[in-house]
Amino acid sequence: MSLLFKLAFRNLLRQRRRSILTGLSMTGGFVLLALSLSLVEGSYSGLIEMFTSDHTGHIQVHKNDYLRRPDLHKNLDDGEVLEELLQSHPDILAFAPRIHAPALAYGGSKTLPVTLTGIDPRQEVHVSLLKEKIQKGSFFKQADMAAGPDHDLPALIGRTVADSLKLSPGDELVLISKGADGSIANDLFRVAGIVGNRSSWEKQRVFLPLPAAREFLAMPGRVHEYVLKVPGYHLAEEVAASLREKSRNKDWEFSSWQQVEASFYRSMQSDKRGNQVTLGIIIFLVCLGVLNTVVMSVLERTREFGLLKAQGTSPGRIFFLIETEVLLLALASCLAGLLIALPLITWFTLVGITLDQAFDMGGISYDTLRGSLSPDIFVTSALVILSSAAAVSLLPSLRAARIKPVDALRS
Amino acid sequence: MNRLLTALQLISRLALRNLFRNRRRTLLTVLLISLSLAMLMFTNALMRGMLNLMVSSAAEVFAGEAQTHRRGFLDAFDAELYMADTRPLEAKLRDSPEVAGFSVRTITPGMIASQTDTAGGLIYGVNPEQEAGVSRLQAAVTKGSYLTGKPAEMLVGQLLAEQLEVTLGDRMVLTFAAAKDGSLSQSLFRISGLFRFGLRDLDENLVFINLEAAREALGIPEGGHEVAINLVRPAKDSSPLPLFAALSDDRVLTRGWIDLNPEIKAIIGWVDFNTVITGGILFLLATFGIVNSLFMSIYERIYEFGVARALGTDPLQIFGLILFEALLLGILGAAFGLLAGGGAIFYFSQAGLYFGEMEFEGILATHIYPSLAGEQFTTFPAYVICLTLLVSIYPAFYAARLVPAHALQRSL
Repeated sequence: MSLLFKLAFRNLLRQRRRSILTGLSMTGGFVLLALSLSLVEGSYSGLIEMFTSDHTGHIQVHKNDYLRRPDLHKNLDDGEVLEELLQSHPDILAFAPRIHAPALAYGGSKTLPVTLTGIDPRQEVHVSLLKEKIQKGSFFKQADMAAGPDHDLPALIGRTVADSLKLSPGDELVLISKGADGSIANDLFRVAGIVGNRSSWEKQRVFLPLPAAREFLAMPGRVHEYVLKVPGYHLAEEVAASLREKSRNKDWEFSSWQQVEASFYRSMQSDKRGNQVTLGIIIFLVCLGVLNTVVMSVLERTREFGLLKAQGTSPGRIFFLIETEVLLLALASCLAGLLIALPLITWFTLVGITLDQAFDMGGISYDTLRGSLSPDIFVTSALVILSSAAAVSLLPSLRAARIKPVDALRS
Repeated sequence: MNRLLTALQLISRLALRNLFRNRRRTLLTVLLISLSLAMLMFTNALMRGMLNLMVSSAAEVFAGEAQTHRRGFLDAFDAELYMADTRPLEAKLRDSPEVAGFSVRTITPGMIASQTDTAGGLIYGVNPEQEAGVSRLQAAVTKGSYLTGKPAEMLVGQLLAEQLEVTLGDRMVLTFAAAKDGSLSQSLFRISGLFRFGLRDLDENLVFINLEAAREALGIPEGGHEVAINLVRPAKDSSPLPLFAALSDDRVLTRGWIDLNPEIKAIIGWVDFNTVITGGILFLLATFGIVNSLFMSIYERIYEFGVARALGTDPLQIFGLILFEALLLGILGAAFGLLAGGGAIFYFSQAGLYFGEMEFEGILATHIYPSLAGEQFTTFPAYVICLTLLVSIYPAFYAARLVPAHALQRSL
């Protein structure tokens, strides 16, 4: 066995320039693979992390198809039963109820259509970053949950609402909407704070404490949506499935973030597929170079192989000799590639590139290129390079193994 | 002069013979070069296809290739910021040969309510005739009919209609603030048509009513919030026209579609950057292959070169020989690459390339149609040939500098 390695090494070193040039193209292939896998993985996991912790949560619960066709009347009237289930599930870290309705906001002499969202401030802070995103003013206080008719009703408004209606904390805001009972809902609120920026999810939203929102929309005790947090976004699908299992006879629909942000998720899958095609073609080009080298080196050594066979070397040994040469070279290239890729990817993971102008991808704003340092990436890249190098050299090695000593020595 | 010609003749004959001596190697190298070229062409065509899709959705479908607004209007769609008298502007547009059509629109955010449901959206007031010359609204009507000018008519986006569970003939109440004093105005309309542009942002958020009805509800006697302009030149060309400056002053601002859509501008920049990176990587990989292949052929012929040098051949001639071989490889590679790349682009430009479902900037696409362009067939192959020549300088230099005594010795 050690003879095999010794021979392989010597053969590689015999044609140093050729080995280096072939190795370099494999090195290039490795770096490219690792870098692009890392960027795709890092950027998307960062993005998913971002929006799931920002507002969507990992799983959402609605009544029936509320998610696709929101309707004031599709609400959960058995919230307590559902909450019991959520509380008893070991993988659910936190959950929060919300209700939503379209409304017209009226401030000063201007109007703006907004989405009204009722939240429970005590629970909301565990599932979203709403509280952290307060730019001006303050978040809801404990007392706001018990708001009565004599109480000043507080509201948090998104940036676009604040800018369009020219509102600051302390100003008055009128909301007009339609209640669940068909009545015209119409009430005065006081701006408690301004949340987020002009591109965030809540830019055109008005948040109310849950009891106030319920009263405003005439939906006592009702909830449109529960937002759930699990230990990691990878677990969302699994936990949602187990919840579905446990509540078969109910009209609750559990949607993981993949379903909540379905068009983003589909776009991400397509983008990943496109990326794989590009990488496949590049690997193919690397393989062409490797094939060229191996074929040449086998042709060059026809006499040598003939001699070896004449001396009684088995075809298998010759086959493995050539494969070992290729694999050794590929391994060395991967190691060299690692040396180049590691600092690059580390930089992308720690610093990354922020795009000047975010673009919208299926409703999610995509604005940073980030790397991921997960060991999987390097293992996958190395395996792809090694296996494709071994595969393209199969034919030439077989050919060398089958050489007839007489013909070879005559040439 | 004559001697140079004979030398060239000799070199070209030798180079051809050398390339054909090892056909398999030549074939593999040519394949490498041609596939790199084909892939570069295809990537470029794909990017162009995506760009076409974006241009059509950003400009051609609805927005127009340029728009005029009061300064600040787009920040918050403030109904008060309307252009009271658009007649001078319209006259200028009519006189401009660059302008193919224009449409005066009012835009106001408001509540759209059915008997049972409400949604927020943007309410556009348009003149049916003018609008037909700018956007594809008329062709986008899927059910019912286009606006005819009757006061209560209203077109609703199909997605919005599904959300509100309404259909043709249903009565709708639009609520929005009047431009003058901000007082709330409510008016009744009847759905006379449903439209589908195929762009989610539009189909989910817009309703159209007649310009006169909108003006009346808003309390503005004349003018509007926006003038959308359709230009004669192809929409892809995004450079600003001098006309835009002539249509702007300290109150109103006219801008081209690319400036109205900074995200698309960013994507285009990003795509260009990506093409350069992909091209660079492709050619780095191809370079290794070309150099490797040339060296292999030099090694095989070391004895030959030694003899040639010993007989007094100029090193420059050997240098020229290797370069010429590289040139032939480059030309062959470029020719095959052109065929393969051009064929692939042409095929997919007809059939479309299925990409799964992708949504960027509200544009939902499943197929991308790569687009043929002149540069793919001119500059790209020229680059490839130049690059092949460039990387062959190193092996050529190596061959030219061989010391005859060593070369002869080594091969024995």
